[in-house]
Amino acid sequence: MTETMTTVEEILERKSQSVVRDPELAPTHDIREALFELEAKGEIVVQRVPENHIEVKTKYGRTKKIPVDHTWHHKSCGQCGHIPGYTSSIFWLHRQFNLDYIDPTDQTSCTGWNYYASATSNAVAQAAVMIRNFAAAHETGYFPMIHCGTSYGHYKEIREQLVHHKELRDEVRRVLDKMGKPLVIPEELVHYSEWIHAMRKRFAEKQTVDMSMITATVHPACHYYKIVAEDAIYDPDIYGGQRTATVTGTLQSLGINVADYSTWFDCCGFGFRHVLVERDFTRSFSTLRKIEVMKNEVNPDVTVTHDTGCVTTLDKSQFSAKAHDRKVGIPVLSDAQMAALAMGAHPFRVVQFHWHSTDWRPFLDKLGINWQKYWDEFQGDLELIRSGQKSGITWQDADAPVVYG
Amino acid sequence: MSNKVLVIGGGPAGLEAARSAAELGGEVILLEKRERLGGTPDRENYAKLTHHWRDASEAMGELASAVTGNSNIEVKYSTEVKGMSGSAGNFTVEVEAGGAAESLNVGAIIIATGFQHFDPGRATQYYNYYSFPDVITLTDLEKMLKEHKVVRPSNGEAPKKIAFIQCVGSRDRQLGNEYCSKVCCGIASKQAIEIREQLPDSKVMIFYIDMRMYGYWENEIYWPAQEKHKVNYVKGVISEVLKKGDQLLIRGEDTTMSRPMEVTMDMVVLSVGMEPSAGTRAIAQTLGVQQNKYGFIEAGGTGGLDPVATSVPGIFVAGAAAGPSDLDDSISEAGLAAARAVASIRKAMAAA
Repeated sequence: MTETMTTVEEILERKSQSVVRDPELAPTHDIREALFELEAKGEIVVQRVPENHIEVKTKYGRTKKIPVDHTWHHKSCGQCGHIPGYTSSIFWLHRQFNLDYIDPTDQTSCTGWNYYASATSNAVAQAAVMIRNFAAAHETGYFPMIHCGTSYGHYKEIREQLVHHKELRDEVRRVLDKMGKPLVIPEELVHYSEWIHAMRKRFAEKQTVDMSMITATVHPACHYYKIVAEDAIYDPDIYGGQRTATVTGTLQSLGINVADYSTWFDCCGFGFRHVLVERDFTRSFSTLRKIEVMKNEVNPDVTVTHDTGCVTTLDKSQFSAKAHDRKVGIPVLSDAQMAALAMGAHPFRVVQFHWHSTDWRPFLDKLGINWQKYWDEFQGDLELIRSGQKSGITWQDADAPVVYG
Repeated sequence: MSNKVLVIGGGPAGLEAARSAAELGGEVILLEKRERLGGTPDRENYAKLTHHWRDASEAMGELASAVTGNSNIEVKYSTEVKGMSGSAGNFTVEVEAGGAAESLNVGAIIIATGFQHFDPGRATQYYNYYSFPDVITLTDLEKMLKEHKVVRPSNGEAPKKIAFIQCVGSRDRQLGNEYCSKVCCGIASKQAIEIREQLPDSKVMIFYIDMRMYGYWENEIYWPAQEKHKVNYVKGVISEVLKKGDQLLIRGEDTTMSRPMEVTMDMVVLSVGMEPSAGTRAIAQTLGVQQNKYGFIEAGGTGGLDPVATSVPGIFVAGAAAGPSDLDDSISEAGLAAARAVASIRKAMAAA
C-alpha cells in the first residue's frame, strides 16, 4: 500500500490479485494418493498418464496431468446420436496435430443416465461398467479420455465409491474376473474439454478464422465442476481463479469476447429424469433461466458449453419457447466445435451445424463464412453417397482445413 | 533457568499478556513481526470495536501504551521466531530481526499470534469477491467506516442497498472450517448500525443462518439494529452473487418464506470468519505445540478447564491463536496466560 492510495483503491488492488490456492490447505483428500495406496496393496491397477502430457491446476491448487496423445476415446452416446459434429470435431482437432489416438469399437455406454434418472441399476453394475471400459483402454495401452461431461461426473463419483468401499471393490472384481479383466482405474479422470483447455494456445496458433467480433456466453457443465468439485481446472488468470477455467479459457485464447450473465451457475436444466418424463420442465428451465437471460442481458452471438446434455438441452429446447414468443434464438456449440471452426474445420463435414436446432446462420454470417457454398459442397458429398459412389464421408474428405476466402 | 516471559504477538492478547505478566512482577520480552503494535485491529483498520463501540485505534493505543511505557517489558519489532529448544523454566528461543539473529533464554512462552480473516476467494460458495468490485469483506468495510466514507468501489457513489452475507468461510463442511467464528454476527450488526448512521437513506439487509448474539450483544446490538436502525434480518442462505446491469444480484433461499429469492443490491459485504494466521501455523511448528484439525493451537489442558494450556508445559496460548475469540475472550485469556506463565517460572525456580 502506498501513502497516496485511497481506501477504495486499496480494496480494488486487493481484489485484483488472483487467488492462488495452497494444496496443503485443501479441504478434501487427494483421491490419487488413495489410488496409489490401493495399488501398493495389490488391490487395483492404476494406469499412468502418458509421458507426453500437460500439467494444469485444479480447484485447490493441485496439479492434474492431461495427456496430449496416446488416448483411448470414451465417446458419448448423446453426442454420437444427436450432435455428431461434437465428436467429429474432437477427433478432427487431434488429427490436425497428427496426435496418436484410438477410437474404440468395444466401448460401452457409461450408463450414467441410468444412475441419474432412474436408479434402477445398482452400485456394483455401474462400477463394473466403468471398470470394464477402463480395462479395455488399459489393454491397448492408451489412456482413456472421456467425451461426455455426465460420464465424467458419474465416473468421478464411482471412483470415490470404489476407493472408500472395499466391499464394492470385491464385488466389482468378482464381475471383472468373469471377463478376465483386472480392476483398472486411471491415474486421472480426464474430460476432453480439459485436453482442449490444455491445448488452447496451440489451437490459437493454427487459428485461421478471426473471431474477435464474436461475443459468447459460457455455460459450465454441472457434472464437470460441481460434482467432485476439486477435480475441475481453475486458473488464476481466468476469472481470477474463482470459477472453473474450462471453456472460457479456450474461447479467450481464440480471441472471443466472453460475457458474463446472471444465471452463470445455473444448471442447463437437462435433468436426467425430468427430460424423460416431464420434458417441458427441461425446456422451460433451459430457455427461461438460461437462454432468455443471456439474450436479455448480453445478446451473445453464440453460447458455448462442454457437455452432451447441455448442448442438447440448450440448443434443442429453444423452438418450444419461440413458439410462445419468448426471447430466445442463440446458437449453441461445444468448445470442440468452436475450436475446430476457428482452425478451418468444414462447417458440415466436421462441425456438422445441420444437426443443430437453433439457427446458426447469423453466427456464420457474422464470421464472414459463406455457409451456403459449403452446404452445397456437402450436398455434393451426399449425392455421391446416394448414388453409391461413396459409402460415406471419410477423414480424407474432412481433414484438410477450409481456407475461407 | 530464566525468569523471563516471552510473549509472541503484539495484538490485543499479546499486549494484555505482556502488561499483566509485568504487573505480576515478571520480566517480559514481547516479539512483534510488524513494525508496530496492535495486531489485526490495527493492521485491518478496525473502526469501532464490538461491543463497546470504542474507537479501535484509541483502544489499541491504550493497550500499546501500557506496554511501551512499562520498564519491565522489552518490545522487539520486526522480529520473528526461528527455532526453540529446552523446556519449561529454561527455553532457548532463536529469533531474527532484519537478518540479525539472537538467542533468548526465557522461562515461559505465551503464544498470541492471532488469526487472519478467511479469504473469500477460497469459498465454495459463488460470491465472486475477486470478480466484482462491489463485493467486499467486513475488513474492507471497516476501513471505509473508519474514514466515514462508505462508497461503492465500482463508481465511488454511496450505496443505497447493502447486503451482508453471514458465515462466509465458517460452519462449512465442504470447506473444512466447521466451526462458528463467533464474532461475525455481532460485527455485521455493528457495521449495519454504523452504515445506517452514516448513510440514513440506505437500506441494509443481513442474510443469516442463525444470528449468534450471545450475552449482552443481544440487547446492546441486535435489538437496536432492528428497532432503532431498521436493519432487515432475513433468514436464508445466499448461494451466489452475480451481476445484473450495474447492480449485484444475490440469489438464495428465504427460509422463513420457504422459497427461493433474488434481490438486487448495490453492495454486498461478506462476513468472513476467522482462520489461524500464517504466524500461528508457523509458530506451532517451530515450538512443537499441538494444533487442532483446523490449524489453531490446541488448548484446554486435560479436562478442558485450562483454556490457555498447550501441549507443551511452560508454553501457553491466548486469544484467537487458539480459535475464534472476541476481544473480551482474548483479554481474559491473556490475563490468565500471564498468571500461569509467571507461576510456572516461579515453580521452576523454586524447584531448581
